[in-house]
Amino acid sequence: MFRKTRMIPASERPERAQIMALTLLSIAAYLPLVRHLDPKVSLFVGLVWLLRFAALRWQAVAPGAWVLVGLTLIGGGNALLAYQGWSGRDAGTALFVTMVTLKLLELRRLDDLRLVASLIGFLIVVQFLFDESPWLLAYLGGVSLGVITLLVMLDGGSGTARMRPALRVAGRLALQALPLTLILFLLFPRLSAPLWSLGVETGRAKTGMSDWLEPGAISELVLDGELAFRVRFDSPPPGPDQLYWRGPVLWETDGRRWTPGLAIVPPVSAPSLLEADQLIEYEVTLEPNNQRWWLALDLPVTVPAGAFLTTEHQLVAAESVSAAQRYRVTSALAYRTDSLDTERWAAGLQVPDNVTPRMRALVAEWRARVGDDDWALIQEALGYFNRESFHYTLLPPALGSNPVDEFLFETRRGFCEHYASSFALLMRLAGIPSRIVLGYLGGELNRVGGYHMVWQSDAHAWVEVWSETGGWVRVDPTAAVNPARVDHRGASQVLGAGPSVRFTLEQADAMVRLARQLRLFGDSLDAAWQDWVLGFSVEDQMALLSRLRLGELREYGLVALLLPALSLTLGLLLFGALRERRVVDPLTRLYARLGARLARVGLARGGHEGPADYGRRVSAARPDLAPRVERFLELYIPARYGALPKADAIAALTALLRDFHPRPVPRAKPRRRPRAHDAT
Amino acid sequence: MGLRKRLDPGRLSGLFRRVAHGPDGLARVGPRQIYILPTKQGLRFGAVLLVMLLGSLNYQNNLGLLVTFFLASVALVAMHHTWLNLLGLLVRARGGPPVFVGEDATFEIILGTDGRRAREDIAVMDQAGRRHAARVPGGDQARVRISAAAARRGLQRLSEVTLETRHPLHLFRAWCYVSCTATTLVYPAPAAHAPEPSAAPGEGQSSRRQAHMGTDDYLGPRLYRPGDSPRQVDWKAYARERGLVVKQFGADQGREVWIDWDQVSAADPETRISLLTRQLLDAAEAGLRFGLRLPGGTEGLGRGEDHLQRCLTRLALL
Repeated sequence: MFRKTRMIPASERPERAQIMALTLLSIAAYLPLVRHLDPKVSLFVGLVWLLRFAALRWQAVAPGAWVLVGLTLIGGGNALLAYQGWSGRDAGTALFVTMVTLKLLELRRLDDLRLVASLIGFLIVVQFLFDESPWLLAYLGGVSLGVITLLVMLDGGSGTARMRPALRVAGRLALQALPLTLILFLLFPRLSAPLWSLGVETGRAKTGMSDWLEPGAISELVLDGELAFRVRFDSPPPGPDQLYWRGPVLWETDGRRWTPGLAIVPPVSAPSLLEADQLIEYEVTLEPNNQRWWLALDLPVTVPAGAFLTTEHQLVAAESVSAAQRYRVTSALAYRTDSLDTERWAAGLQVPDNVTPRMRALVAEWRARVGDDDWALIQEALGYFNRESFHYTLLPPALGSNPVDEFLFETRRGFCEHYASSFALLMRLAGIPSRIVLGYLGGELNRVGGYHMVWQSDAHAWVEVWSETGGWVRVDPTAAVNPARVDHRGASQVLGAGPSVRFTLEQADAMVRLARQLRLFGDSLDAAWQDWVLGFSVEDQMALLSRLRLGELREYGLVALLLPALSLTLGLLLFGALRERRVVDPLTRLYARLGARLARVGLARGGHEGPADYGRRVSAARPDLAPRVERFLELYIPARYGALPKADAIAALTALLRDFHPRPVPRAKPRRRPRAHDAT
Repeated sequence: MGLRKRLDPGRLSGLFRRVAHGPDGLARVGPRQIYILPTKQGLRFGAVLLVMLLGSLNYQNNLGLLVTFFLASVALVAMHHTWLNLLGLLVRARGGPPVFVGEDATFEIILGTDGRRAREDIAVMDQAGRRHAARVPGGDQARVRISAAAARRGLQRLSEVTLETRHPLHLFRAWCYVSCTATTLVYPAPAAHAPEPSAAPGEGQSSRRQAHMGTDDYLGPRLYRPGDSPRQVDWKAYARERGLVVKQFGADQGREVWIDWDQVSAADPETRISLLTRQLLDAAEAGLRFGLRLPGGTEGLGRGEDHLQRCLTRLALL
């Protein structure tokens, strides 16, 4: 910045149009970041651009060295103010953008412009830490092409200083680079674990399910139109009533809120099942949810790498899911769990302080009716939900400090969280250990992509009760509600989202169904993007290698493939340029044609012979051809070596050669036609 | 750019391949005669790419990798294009018109291609390190004029030119050394003043000499030529922005002089040659018939521009 202003040669001095192009390019590269960065940063950067344009218009406005120092300090301070620091993804990007933009005010030489153009490349890559959509890639791909075009324009060649020819050169470069890009993308060895972390993970996840439950927690989720995860079954998928996707398990309640209660840690010994049947294998692609749990069908029996299985049979990852996560699991649809330890027995019977007498009376009434039979008591409770006027609605009335009591005896309108929490509490009052499981229910088949989609709106809560004979048994009290009392009014608010098993959207009109079809199609594109581009990983590379029987070479196999593939492709691409056709002078071509015609009658031109000598030789050998050949040479020699206008000569010579097809000299009887002579 | 200084062909000339020229003086740049290295800008671009690569790998960001690989591929392809831009180029060098010592000798470099592809931004480097860039259209030629200070009389040779290109992205610089045999004639520098030459012997009228030869009858203006005395320059015309014009005076057209090596005395031969040069120029200026006698031979009496050139050439090559 304090570099002395030396004399810069004119060829290295940037032009206004070039500075303008660079500034516009930097604006284009910055635009998608506006959504993600603090408005203060955008404001500062915008002001710098204004100053840049003003300095182009009025030279006097161009800031001097000291003003630039000041602006740099202000810009750095501004980023610091916006983010309380300079580290981390957002703050780092903000600082980088500020500095690159400030460099726009100090473009003394073409080299400065080239530097900024390279840095714009970096700015492009940084943006994918914020957003990974195909649209952004397409947009920034265009900006990259702009960067290349600008570099071509800056090269200074007289033929490419303008936009259009430069764009043509850049386009050719880009087209030739595409296959190489693909090869590099497929075969360049990746890191399986990051080398460092700068807090990039934060804030990328969408909202999703939490690990606690209180009235309204899930109905809020149902209004969320986001995708939770995708599932691809290896075999025919189980029926919709089996699609219980297991998430957090909640033991403890304070009468309003349910929480896990027990610490979620890897168990000393892996949980075992006494019986496991109807195994089903599938692959899940989990959308980032910023939580540590991975979802699996009730109950997972295998543990994918990077996760562990808790005693509650919940899949928990070592780290929270900040980017789309893919894993394979096997689940048992029919199972019997192992015995219960005392700690969990006690936790399964814990009741809050706000249990009311009428709740105890209700349970006592059932107990009196069924005796010791726990199973009959469960049926009694489910029957109660079915018989009494319980309504299932997305828009339940607000509940006070004792939601279970109010729901059971007064409002009787609720969503799955109301049913699950009151059912679990009633079971505990009856002395049956019970717990709440959070997760998702159902899944919508995407026929285009051949996979199931599970939406946030499929979030669900159900209950597991303990029986000495059956272990933990899943009971879904919500399903007990009389279908006639399911209220679809709330569902109309979530038409954009996937259908829930609990609501039918048959009433929805054609437009809505069309929108849903489009959405399904869009999602399969999205899934392909997720699988093939964003999720392409070391594992996929290794799978590719093993298919080529190079699996045991690992990374070396990749390099061994990468280098020959790159060189071969590059060779093919440039082969055309190496073997380009020469431009032959039309006169030379006509002369060669004359030689070729005469060669047919045995008068080929010798390599040493000049045209005049050749003409004399031909005339001597074949006097019948002499007039034509001499006329040709009379035109050709001055046109080729002298001052005769070439264009006229070319036309005349072409005409001369048009019907010049000398035939071999008939040896005997010159009257006979040569053709007939040949035939004999 | 420090690298280029270290690779100065003068110091390491034996180590570099040159593009040889054929008997007709035409050289075609071959594949093994082209050198290529990244420019400073190329190194910076590479550094930025490296940071992009490390970052994308670390955060396992496939889109970042995709763009990084794209830009790297573009640079890789561009490197080959830079090389291809020189490959097959036809080069011929030609000497320029004669000049006097102290002026700049010019050479014309003719760049041509017989391919369809245009060659962008081909630069010929002169001795002072200046670039003279040209674009060679497909199947056509381009001419570049370079100059070198003419320090000594005689034939100034151009035995090698350096061609370079950074097209298309300025990330790589490809160059080659082309040998050539162009010569430009350098006349000796004329002395500021010279004694008057003797009149041609045997001519009776020669005694009719005038004190200020060549300043009598004004003949008209003509354009300045190197070697003209500043006294004869029409400075008024120059001030009126009519260019550097010399006032031409004609003396007695019939007079004849001999400019003779033995008639001029000087401490060393070069001074003597420069005095003779001045005498030649003055004689030609005055429109006299003049001859030149040198130890090696004699140029007979004559007049006119061609004669002057012949005489000057003799002096230059003496």
